[in-house]
Amino acid sequence: MIIAHPVLWVCLFCLTACSSEGDSPRDLTYEFKKPSNFPEPTYTFDNNTITKEGFLLGRKLFFDPKLSRDGSVSCNNCHQQSKAFADSEQHPVSVGIDDLLGIRNAPSLTNLAFFKEFFWDGGVTHLDFVPINAIESEVEMDEDLANLVRKLKNDSEYPELFLQAFGTEEVTSPYILHSLSQFTLMMVSSNSAYDKYVRNEGQILSETEIAGLELFKQKCSSCHSGELFTDFTYRNNGLDSEFTDTGRARITESRQDEGKFRVPSLRNVELTSPYMHDGRFKTLEAVLDHYSEGVVISPTLDEELKGNTSLGISMNEDEKSKIIAFLRTLTDREFISDSKFHNR
Amino acid sequence: MNKIKYILLVSIFALTMSCGEDDTPQAERFGEFVVEFDNIVGTKQMSLKTAGSTDYNFENNQGQNFNLSTFRYYISKIKLSGPNGEVYEDEMKVDANAANVKGYYLIQESEPSSSEISLNNVPYGEYDKIIFTVGIEEDGVVEGAAGGVLDPAEGAWFWNWNSGYIGFGIEGASSASGDANKGFSIHIGGWKDIAPAAGETQRFFNNVKTITLNLGVNAKVSATQKPQAHIVTDALKVLGDINFQDTYGVHSPLAGKPFAENITTAFAVDHVH
Ligand code: HEC
Ligand code: HEC
Repeated sequence: MIIAHPVLWVCLFCLTACSSEGDSPRDLTYEFKKPSNFPEPTYTFDNNTITKEGFLLGRKLFFDPKLSRDGSVSCNNCHQQSKAFADSEQHPVSVGIDDLLGIRNAPSLTNLAFFKEFFWDGGVTHLDFVPINAIESEVEMDEDLANLVRKLKNDSEYPELFLQAFGTEEVTSPYILHSLSQFTLMMVSSNSAYDKYVRNEGQILSETEIAGLELFKQKCSSCHSGELFTDFTYRNNGLDSEFTDTGRARITESRQDEGKFRVPSLRNVELTSPYMHDGRFKTLEAVLDHYSEGVVISPTLDEELKGNTSLGISMNEDEKSKIIAFLRTLTDREFISDSKFHNR
Repeated sequence: MNKIKYILLVSIFALTMSCGEDDTPQAERFGEFVVEFDNIVGTKQMSLKTAGSTDYNFENNQGQNFNLSTFRYYISKIKLSGPNGEVYEDEMKVDANAANVKGYYLIQESEPSSSEISLNNVPYGEYDKIIFTVGIEEDGVVEGAAGGVLDPAEGAWFWNWNSGYIGFGIEGASSASGDANKGFSIHIGGWKDIAPAAGETQRFFNNVKTITLNLGVNAKVSATQKPQAHIVTDALKVLGDINFQDTYGVHSPLAGKPFAENITTAFAVDHVH
C-alpha cells in the first residue's frame, strides 16, 4: 500500500539518483574492519577508501620487482607474509638491490592503520609516504619515483588497473602510493589465541601462558602497552652505551633522543626474528636475557630500566619462559595464511 | 497517512538539497587578482646557470662570489584583506587527483609561467594587504599522498626520511664553497610544531613562515579592474650572512632554521598595478 504511493516512488528515484553504489551485496573481504579490542585507526580513510580494485592493484605492486631500478627487488623481498611481513631470519638488516645492506631490520607490517608514525625512528608521518623510501633508497630499490610512474604508464597492464581502481587511466604517484596503502592497511592481525581469549571467543590459554601474561603486564607493559603492545613512544631500552644509529634523534635533532627507537608492537613476535632495530638478537630468549642481564647505561637510558639495585628488569628463568609462552599466544596463523595477501 | 506524506516530502526536500550543487547565484560578485613573484639577488635580476657552472655572477654578504642553478619555493594559503572588511581566502585542498589540488603554488625561477598566480573569485572591493605562507604546513602533509605540485614524481621536493616538503630550495655554486665540487644546496623544510616539555630542549623545528605585506595602495577588484601585485623575493636576504666555506649543505629542519628566519624578511611588495 505504501509502496504504491506516488510520493514514495519519487523519493526512491531521488535516492537512486544520489547514490552511485551498485546493489550487489558488498564483498567484505576488502573492507577494513577495526577489531573490537583495538583502538580507533588513524589512517586518513576519507582520502583513500579501500576498494577491491585498489587493494588488488596494491597487491600487484607489492609483489612486482618492476618497482626497483633493475627489476630485481619487490616489497615482498623484505616483507614476507610467513613472517607477518617482516624480513627473513637471515637478514638482521635489510638486503636490497645488488645485495646492498641497509642499516635496520625490516619490521613486520601489521596493524599499520593504527600507527601514526612509521619506521624505527618515526620519521615517516603517513603510511602513504612510506613506500617512497623503499623505492628511492639506493640500498633498497634504487628507483626514481618519476621513473617508476613512467614505467607503469608504459606497461601493458597497469593503466587499465589504475582506471579500475581510481577512475583514471593516468598513472600518477599518489595513486601508486594509495594502492600500496590499501594493500598494507588490510594487514590487520587480530586473530591470535590472545585476541580470542580477551574477546571471550572460547579460546583458553594455558596456566603458563596466563602466568606469562600477568608477568608481562608487570614487567613489560609500561612500554609495550595496550592491544598493539606499544605505546608508540621512542625509548632507549639499553642496547648500547654509544650509538652508531642515533634513532629518534635523526628526526628530532635533539641529543635527548639519541639511541631511542620506537617501542615495537609485539604481535606475531614469535615469527619476526631477528629482533631490535638492527636485528641483533636471534631468539626471544636472547631478548629476555638482554632485559635481565644485558641492559647498559647511557645518558638516554629509559627510567623504567634503571632499577633500584641493578639495571634492567629482574626476572628469573622460570619467569622468562612464562613470558615467552605468553608472547607466542600473539601469533596469528590466520593472518599469515590469509589468501588475500598471496601473490596471484 | 498525511503524516507519512509530510515526512516523505521533507525527506525529498532534504535529499534534493544534498544532491544538487546548484546554489542560487549570490548577490556578491567576483573578480580576479594576480600575484606575481619576481626573484632578485640584491639589486640584480635573478638568472640561473647550469649546475656546476663556474661563471659566478652574484656576490653574497661576505663578498663571496656565487651563482644559482635552482631557486624554488612554495606559496600557499594566500589571503587578501581590505580597508572596508573585504576578505579573500584562497581555497585550499590536498588531493591525490592533481586537478583537485587547490591553493598550493610552486614558484620556480626555471619556469617563468610559475611565477604568476591568478586568484579568481575575489569579491569585488578594495584590498590593501596580502598574507601568504612560504612552505607547506602540517595540514598539507598529514593528508598523505597528493598530486600536482605536491607530487614528488612531478617535481615536488619531499624529504622521504623525515616526511615533509622542502618549502624553499636554493642550489648553486661558489668558488668559496667548502664542497669538493664547489656546489651548495640549501633545502629549507620542517613543519612539526611541538613545544618542548618541561626540562627538555626543543625537538623539531617548524620552518614554515607566514608573511604579511602591505600593498601600499588600495587595489580595486571590479568588473573592469584586475590588480596585479608584484612581489620581489630576494635570494640574498634568504642566504643572509652565509659563509659558503662551511655552509654548503643544508638538509634538515635544524640546519634550515636560520634561513627560515631570513625568509621572513625576503619578500617585499614592489608595486601594484
Ligand atoms: C630492501 C628491503 C626492503 C624493501 C624492498 C622494502 N622494505 Fe619496507 N622496510 C624495510 C626496512 C629496513 C624498514 C624499516 C626502516 C626504518 O625503520 O628505518 C621498512 C619499513 C616499512 C614500513 C613501516 C613499518 C613500520 O612499522 O613502521 C612499511 C609500511 C613498509 N616498509 C612497506 C614497504 C613497501 C610497501 C615496500 C615496497 C614498495 C617496501 N616496504 C619495500 C625494508 C624494505
Ligand atoms: C622501557 C621501555 C621498555 C620496556 C619496559 C620493555 N621494552 Fe621491549 N622494547 C622497547 C624498545 C624501545 C624496543 C626497541 C629497541 C630497539 O630496537 O632499539 C623494544 C624491543 C623489544 C623486542 C623486539 C621486537 C622486535 O620486533 O624486534 C621484544 C621482543 C621486546 N622488546 C620484548 C619485551 C619484553 C618481553 C619486555 C618485558 C620483559 C620488554 N620488552 C620491556 C622498550 C621496552
